[in-house]
Amino acid sequence: MKKTGIIIAIVAVLAVIVLWGIGVNNRLVTADEGVQKAWAQVENAYKRRADLVPQLVATVQGAADFEKGTLTEVTQARAGIDNVKVDPSTLTPEQIAAYQKAQDNLSNALANTIKVTVERYPELTATQSFRDLQVQLEGTENRIAVERGKFNEAVQSFNTSLRRFPNNIIASIAGFEKKGYFTAPEGSDEPVKVEFDFNK
Amino acid sequence: MKRLVGILVFLVACVPTWAEWLPARPSRLVNDYSGILSGQQVAELEQRLVAFNDSTSNQVVVVITPTIEGDDEDAAAQRIGESWGVGQEKFDNGVVILIKSKTSEENWGAVAIATGYGVEGALPDIFCKRIIDDRMIGPLGEGDYFRSISGALDVMLPVLAGEYSYAQYRKDNLRAALLILGGFLLIFTIIIILIVRYCKKHPDQFRNNGRGGGGGTYFGGPIGGIFGGGVWGGGSSSSMGGFGGFGGGSFGGGGASGRF
Repeated sequence: MKKTGIIIAIVAVLAVIVLWGIGVNNRLVTADEGVQKAWAQVENAYKRRADLVPQLVATVQGAADFEKGTLTEVTQARAGIDNVKVDPSTLTPEQIAAYQKAQDNLSNALANTIKVTVERYPELTATQSFRDLQVQLEGTENRIAVERGKFNEAVQSFNTSLRRFPNNIIASIAGFEKKGYFTAPEGSDEPVKVEFDFNK
Repeated sequence: MKRLVGILVFLVACVPTWAEWLPARPSRLVNDYSGILSGQQVAELEQRLVAFNDSTSNQVVVVITPTIEGDDEDAAAQRIGESWGVGQEKFDNGVVILIKSKTSEENWGAVAIATGYGVEGALPDIFCKRIIDDRMIGPLGEGDYFRSISGALDVMLPVLAGEYSYAQYRKDNLRAALLILGGFLLIFTIIIILIVRYCKKHPDQFRNNGRGGGGGTYFGGPIGGIFGGGVWGGGSSSSMGGFGGFGGGSFGGGGASGRF
């Protein structure tokens, strides 16, 4: 009689622990989904920018005394981002860092190309198509900044609940791992700011 | 008490530092923190935007602020939209028109239009830029803030109305509304029949006071309540003519900006 009592007590405690573990696991799954959704939005925003590169190339090529060298950097950087593969289910800090590096390369290349274009082909920057392109690029940079911010928020809440004791025990059993943030590029406190508005 | 203070301190600490200039969520659509528009102008714009919100569910917010404290005007407009939740949560159909006014300390003005995710298609960035360049910068340069806002709305509202029509917004709610309405009508009819029968059976009781038909007014309340709050108002508890509150829409950085 006494034995069954002890067994029942142990089973009850185990049941409580298991139920709690399931609860923690499910919360982490939800947070994980949030991060993946935010990641999809980040990729959308970056893809939008990558899709604008051909348009930029076409617009600049239309300039009368166009030199091919002007566009080498941006087309190479555009090709470079396709080589970085990110697994949306893991999103490790290393993956995010590599992805960010490739995208920041494109940011710099775009900024340089625009700068060179403005210097060499001032008449081009007055055309409607170039102005429209500026607006689109500017809007894309805004979207990237917003989605990166939202992604970092999602990662922060995921990582926080992941590392908090005693959630971290469940997390390591269930195989959840810390996710990476977007950071400001090295050597600067601010993210790369591509300045397209020359009328300011 | 100590715990309460602790919670308050925690809540204050949670407010992100970048948004110090950002005002708390208001209960109006036209918010002139610079005090540039006259009361009549504010009322006129407010009325126009509330009517637009009521008829199409699109929420257009106008904010005039003396400072954005070193923030980018695009980012500032996006943050307003996101943190106030402009637009319906389901459609993300909010628009923020932000004007950073010229002040004696900061002699530059900026205007930004931020579009919610759901209206990026109806108002592409280029279109927003055109609105700003063609309609807003000119009057703003002359100091005519009212004309710039009103001119922008002239172009923007018809386009937005086409994207999310009244019919489309209420489509999901219409069936529920009809069901509820039908239910009320049924109960109403049954009660009327019962009252009429009762009157017929006991004619002497109702001969002199003439109150027999008064039952209807008691049911105007609940039915009106459904239309005012649940179905047409987008979950708000608006009274006639007032703005019922923001719907929780989200912003992804769409829109354009310019300086004057």
